[in-house]
Amino acid sequence: MNDNQAPSKKPILLATIASMLIAATVLFVAVLPAEYGFDPLGTGEQLGLIGLSGSQVSALQQQPAKWRKDVIEFQLAPFEALEYKYHMLEDGALIFSWEAQEDVLFDLHSEADDKAVAEQSFAKGRQRSDNGVLRAPFTGIHGWYFQNRGLGDMTLRLTVAGFFDYSVEMTDGPTQRYEFE
Amino acid sequence: MPVQMLVRLVGSLLLLGFVSAAWGHDISAENAEFVMGLSGAAPGPFLYLGAKHMFTGYDHLLFLLGVIFFLYRPRDIVLYVTLFTVGHSITLLLGVLLGWQVNGHLVDAIIGLSIVYKAFENIKGFEAFLPWELNTRAAVFIFGLCHGLGLATKLQDSVQDGDGLLTNLLSFNIGVELGQLCALAAILLVLSSWRSRPSFQRQAFAVNTLLMGAGFVLFGYQITGFLLV
Repeated sequence: MNDNQAPSKKPILLATIASMLIAATVLFVAVLPAEYGFDPLGTGEQLGLIGLSGSQVSALQQQPAKWRKDVIEFQLAPFEALEYKYHMLEDGALIFSWEAQEDVLFDLHSEADDKAVAEQSFAKGRQRSDNGVLRAPFTGIHGWYFQNRGLGDMTLRLTVAGFFDYSVEMTDGPTQRYEFE
Repeated sequence: MPVQMLVRLVGSLLLLGFVSAAWGHDISAENAEFVMGLSGAAPGPFLYLGAKHMFTGYDHLLFLLGVIFFLYRPRDIVLYVTLFTVGHSITLLLGVLLGWQVNGHLVDAIIGLSIVYKAFENIKGFEAFLPWELNTRAAVFIFGLCHGLGLATKLQDSVQDGDGLLTNLLSFNIGVELGQLCALAAILLVLSSWRSRPSFQRQAFAVNTLLMGAGFVLFGYQITGFLLV
């Protein structure tokens, strides 16, 4: 650098301001929405970047697994019981409907894969049918304890649709695991 | 010159090799998991991790690019890169050994500013606005210290105290230098062929403006992380 006089200030100043403007644009249009869900210009949502940050639009909830359905029938002798649960990741949704010919004692509950986390029970009762939507509070197995409280054999039919991985059936015998496509 | 050709050859090969590795500025989740499972000295993995970290560490590389942008003589390139290397090695080693707790976002924000500084200097900003001359060598060394702190914060999560810490740390440091050499070779490859063109001087101003912009983006991104978390 052998200039006799200092270089011209104006182009340098303009370049510096331009670089700041470019940076601010890149930050507010793309980087901040994508990384932090901070989207004051709304461009993150428009460009579909907001989902990258993990923040949710309230009506929509992304699901972490594949959509599956299951229809299963259980035969229960008087006072016979079983448990049938689906393995889901945290926030997994399960839409269910079950019905039986007789009153059934049931307990809809979740057991976490992580043994340190306590079980949670959502509904207990004695009825012939139930419908609902369950959101998994943690990763684990989620489903029902059913016991036939009638005096005759009965059939219970369970229909579900949701985002589960596999199911397990626990009876007096060994635990059965069912895989789904 | 045979040395130049060797540099170009090695640079190209290693560039191809590393480009196929996973991108990531932080130590990738899989690598971190693997490394945390290690106990005792594991020079191999840490050496590779150091190299990979530097080679994919775009903030470190952008600063290096700014530093060597207008350095033509091999002697100058070696001098400035050594200043940067000594700086970042000091803080990398001390930071991990002494367990310094520094906010990673804050350090990375300063690293972003280091890129702004060098690009601004490259477009003769300091020359135009400051009555006195900035000591570039001191600045590169001091920013090297900051870069090293950044490296330390990334490594601290993976390294365990106790057996083998020093070995692993030194391996990581050596790896960083090897990665830096590879990256430098690749950058010099591109830079020297570009500099031989007549359009270079004109384009250099624009490219340094963009480099400054990149530094501001990094600064903004990291400072937001610091403020939000």
